[in-house]
Amino acid sequence: MHAAMGNGAFIISALFIILYTVYAVWQPSALSVSDLTDFFNNTLPLAIAAAGGTFVVLTRGFDLSVAGVISIANVIMATKIGEGPVQALWGLVLVCGIGLLCGAVNGLLVSKIGLQSIASSLGTMIITSGIALVLLDAPGGTVSEFVSYGLMDDIAGIVPITGLIAAALIAIWLVVKRTDIGIAVYAVGADETASTLAGINVVKTRFFAYSIAGALYGLAGYMLSAQTATGNPNAGNPFLLQVFAAIAIGGTSFRGGHGGVVGSMVGAATLMLLQKLLFTAGVSSFYTGLFQGVIMIVAVLIAALSSRFSAAGAR
Amino acid sequence: MTSQQIQHMEKQPAASAHETLTRREDDRGGPKRPRLTAQGWATISVFAICAILIVSSRAISPAFGGWAQLKAILILSSFVMVAGFGQGLVILLGGLDLSIASVCTLAGVLTFNWVGNSELALLWGVPVVLLITAGVGTVNGIGVALLRIPAFIMTLASGIIVYSLCLGFTGGTPRGMASPILSAIYTASVGGIPVIILLMVLVAIVGSVVQGRTVFGRKLYAVGANENAAHIAGIPVRAFTIAAYAVAGACGGLAGIMMVGYAGGATLTMGQPYLLPSIAAVVVGGSSILGGRGTYLGTVGGAILLTTISTIISALQMSEGWRTVIYGSVILLALIFMREDLFAAVKRQSGASKR
Repeated sequence: MHAAMGNGAFIISALFIILYTVYAVWQPSALSVSDLTDFFNNTLPLAIAAAGGTFVVLTRGFDLSVAGVISIANVIMATKIGEGPVQALWGLVLVCGIGLLCGAVNGLLVSKIGLQSIASSLGTMIITSGIALVLLDAPGGTVSEFVSYGLMDDIAGIVPITGLIAAALIAIWLVVKRTDIGIAVYAVGADETASTLAGINVVKTRFFAYSIAGALYGLAGYMLSAQTATGNPNAGNPFLLQVFAAIAIGGTSFRGGHGGVVGSMVGAATLMLLQKLLFTAGVSSFYTGLFQGVIMIVAVLIAALSSRFSAAGAR
Repeated sequence: MTSQQIQHMEKQPAASAHETLTRREDDRGGPKRPRLTAQGWATISVFAICAILIVSSRAISPAFGGWAQLKAILILSSFVMVAGFGQGLVILLGGLDLSIASVCTLAGVLTFNWVGNSELALLWGVPVVLLITAGVGTVNGIGVALLRIPAFIMTLASGIIVYSLCLGFTGGTPRGMASPILSAIYTASVGGIPVIILLMVLVAIVGSVVQGRTVFGRKLYAVGANENAAHIAGIPVRAFTIAAYAVAGACGGLAGIMMVGYAGGATLTMGQPYLLPSIAAVVVGGSSILGGRGTYLGTVGGAILLTTISTIISALQMSEGWRTVIYGSVILLALIFMREDLFAAVKRQSGASKR
């Protein structure tokens, strides 16, 4: 169990369950299907974006382009995609494809050309934000009702669709992390030289990580569009720091090679839950950041301490 | 002023950059240290690109390419130059300061509120604000050096916390008075040269000396290049790390105070536009984000280059979206063409052909 979840994911899941229990005691409706559906709907865009960012952080990189890619996806969904299931599917392919393309450019710049990831993705973030502004210069447009109502609903009043999507992503991740390329992502982040010596294609692995990350940012933008039902060329901006916060409290190490997607997704959920909890407690929204920051530091410290203890226990 | 004088002024920074750097290379035995040489070339090319851009921007608008534009660029670069010094020291250690934007805002909000238009309050207010922001930096440093929290997370978290405190302190709207004396820094001039430009030249000199010539600065290079080796060599690595973050906090604070002088007020988003440029200026200036390499002169060049690009682009007859796309593309191209290995390769090529 420990090995499957990863240390950080386990801690953040425990923290999340405790916080949710507190919330449910306070507000019993928190366990109703409609409240749970709302919670999944609000969390999923950040959770998917954080899942994408995790791939890059695992290889010991930073990807700031998340903000721009989400904005582009949102703007496309609000202005270029019409009603109906075919259009919705075409929109999904389109925004994930654009995300994949942006990610591939990032991957090339970092792995082939050898730029520092934080600097090159700063460049691509500015460019992609610009493209979003070119496509739509002010907030507006509407997302098709098929997407905005369909994806925010629940099945037979029991299972939220966004919850199913989250579960599907986690299932895919658990498979991917066991494949050769998944193992390579961890290896490259942990020790690049050793991975090269072990026969891992570092360039290809990095390229893969950035590309997958880009595609997931596109998907995050798709889900955000379903949630907000409207377009905003700056829709992705609030995600920039939140994504890294979610990854950090999810227990993925910024030194590379440790952590995983599950932790980041639960981390994103915890950030969202914290906002709800503070709102319910009547704390002024001004101080939400104070609690978020403290939780980030505490989560990282707990993860560091517990890994020290488990290392001591193994000896 | 004649165009010759203007050209002379534009070329001056590039020339002085060249002098200092070549002198330093000689100190260290020049050719044996190809890395420093490559860095020197990167710095020179940053200043050269600035000069070319400014001169050729006359083609875009007749108001450009002159002293007025150069003055505007230098004034606008001053915030990134000051914040970039602190950011550069932290990056030299292999860290990163993401709290610098919130610290700027904090300093701005406090200065606006406490100092107002009182001259007496200026005397205690500015030092107190600088101490508070250095305190935030010290907390960052303690988190990174003693608690071993990754710099990215520590400063991201402290930035979010400080911003949240700014929101709470101001209740959403900063209140206060503009300070005539702080504004005078941006409006007054001595002998035809604006005070702020003289101050920035001073900052560039002091910053370069502190980072490149003092024991403190040289030891920071050692810590950034290899922390373990520095520790074994007897450098108090933790104290130096905390000191670097404290300086970064104070630099963010100073930039915030300067913004109050420039804008005559404070807003809750005033620091935000300078976070990524402060990092970009350091990286464009030839520093490695992994630490151990870089010069402050390079950062100064990076700050001026970024401002030059954005002022020229803002004059283009295009929508905001396209201007943003061009700005990002230019930054990417600058990064691609100013890679150190590229300079090293060119140098090797020319060296080989001479032989």
